[in-house]
Amino acid sequence: MSLPPSRRAAAVLLGVAALAPLIVRDSFVLDSLILILMWGALSAAWNVAGGYAGQVSLGHAAFFGIGAYSAALMTARFQQSPWLGLVLGVVLSLAAGGAIGYLSNRLRGPYFALSTIAFSQVLLIGASRWRGFTAGSEGIPVPFRPGVWTLGLGHVAWVYVALVLAVLCYAVEIWLEGSRIGYQLAGIREDEDAAEALGIASRRLKVFAVTLSAALTSVGGTLWAQYVGFVDPFYVFSIDLSIRFALNTIIGGLGTALGPFLGSILITSLETYLRATFSGFKTGFAGIYLVIYGTALILVVRFAPEGLIGLAGRFGAWRARADA
Amino acid sequence: MLTLERVTKRFGGLTAVREVSLHVRQGDLLGIIGPNGAGKTTLFNVISGYYRPDGGRVVFAGRDMAGLPPHVICRLGLTRTFQLVKPFGNLSVVDNAMIGALTRLPSVSAARLEAERVIETCGLAPHAAARARALPIGLRKRLEVARALATRPRLLLLDEAMAGLNPSELVGMIELIRRLHADGVTLIVIEHIMAAMMRLARRIVVLHHGEAIAEGTPGEIASDRRVIDAYLGEEFVLAQA
Repeated sequence: MSLPPSRRAAAVLLGVAALAPLIVRDSFVLDSLILILMWGALSAAWNVAGGYAGQVSLGHAAFFGIGAYSAALMTARFQQSPWLGLVLGVVLSLAAGGAIGYLSNRLRGPYFALSTIAFSQVLLIGASRWRGFTAGSEGIPVPFRPGVWTLGLGHVAWVYVALVLAVLCYAVEIWLEGSRIGYQLAGIREDEDAAEALGIASRRLKVFAVTLSAALTSVGGTLWAQYVGFVDPFYVFSIDLSIRFALNTIIGGLGTALGPFLGSILITSLETYLRATFSGFKTGFAGIYLVIYGTALILVVRFAPEGLIGLAGRFGAWRARADA
Repeated sequence: MLTLERVTKRFGGLTAVREVSLHVRQGDLLGIIGPNGAGKTTLFNVISGYYRPDGGRVVFAGRDMAGLPPHVICRLGLTRTFQLVKPFGNLSVVDNAMIGALTRLPSVSAARLEAERVIETCGLAPHAAARARALPIGLRKRLEVARALATRPRLLLLDEAMAGLNPSELVGMIELIRRLHADGVTLIVIEHIMAAMMRLARRIVVLHHGEAIAEGTPGEIASDRRVIDAYLGEEFVLAQA
């Protein structure tokens, strides 16, 4: 096999995730695995716009929330299948992603990021105030009805649902790395004026990347809400969540297919471990994961500016030299 | 092939380009010279679609280009390079050229072959796998040309491709531009370095304060009174003598 090391690592990691539920039955471990896969997939979805196309969004919670609410309202208010909610969420996110991409087309760098934050905040206010329909700031409990059509599943089944999502997002990343559009997006990311001069319709492609990323994020939002069973507007539309997608990716390796998953493995497992460890303490540790993010980010920027992927690459080169 | 009719570009109260007219035929190698701030790069930005002219017309291949964005103009066959080079810094040299090639060739594998060919032409083959930002300025200038060439332009606009090069790099770049011209690419070259321009261009237009004050062969330009007053100075005349 002549696959590059990062592809082989991805195959191993996904394989381990697929086999784990056959061996481990501990619900805490399976829950951690599901969250690692989901946050990894969502960070990969963010990476499509933020890493590959250089459209760094800090408002991706908007699309996550659209997906979460679409399915939650579909099941709680209309007694329909969450799968219909998933489709509705994707449609709404395609529209919202297209609109935000189009409207902020002239904005670059921090200005684009600011406009995405504003967008997610507008949705947060809308969802938390529209009491009659969304139940406002109280949030919506997602009814649990056993079955695949209703997404009322056990931990083992959820591992495979999360795995499918992870493989889907990873496959989109791999497709971008080898396709014409992926190269053109890389050109836009590196220098938009130069890309235009070389015949690349940068505005249209930026909208495409943001829209694709939004749709995948919405799917993740739907599945997360159905798994967790509760949609709180202050969580699903929060800036914290948007930052989580970005930081997982930056810590793992921006613009690399495996990076978002590596970031998620590190951050999510640390977070769930610490939450379990300190759950006995009533106060003080609620925000511990923010401390983890901060510390991890500082360490990465200082010692591995290209993320864990870059670190692994340097280690590989060092070992090759040591062998020679 | 390319016709400019009384093209004007203003920035507030400043007229950067004033009623410039010129005509480029298939196979030309036109030079544009002028002191700093004469409006050379502004003129390129108007021709290549980055600025919309405030007056006059730009006609390329029989088509009025007013309001067309740069990527459409590139697809029509007119590609420009930048004076301040804009490499895709984190990508390899061959990927840089490939992104240009993908404009004409939808298939990634065909574009890669084309990119390798162009890199060979531009003498960058030994650096194909290097990251663009790791290249010294002389090679970055070549990469800028290679990338533009990969889009298969009929008319190529080079904005100070020779500025900042050492003497041996300069010779190499002059050779490269001559080769491209011989291969059938029509060129407009902006340059600061008079000596190089005199050896390269068939025809030269002189810009001064945004106006085209003279046009002619290198010999005619070098002896034109207005040009000497505006730009070349007495020393150049003495040096020529």
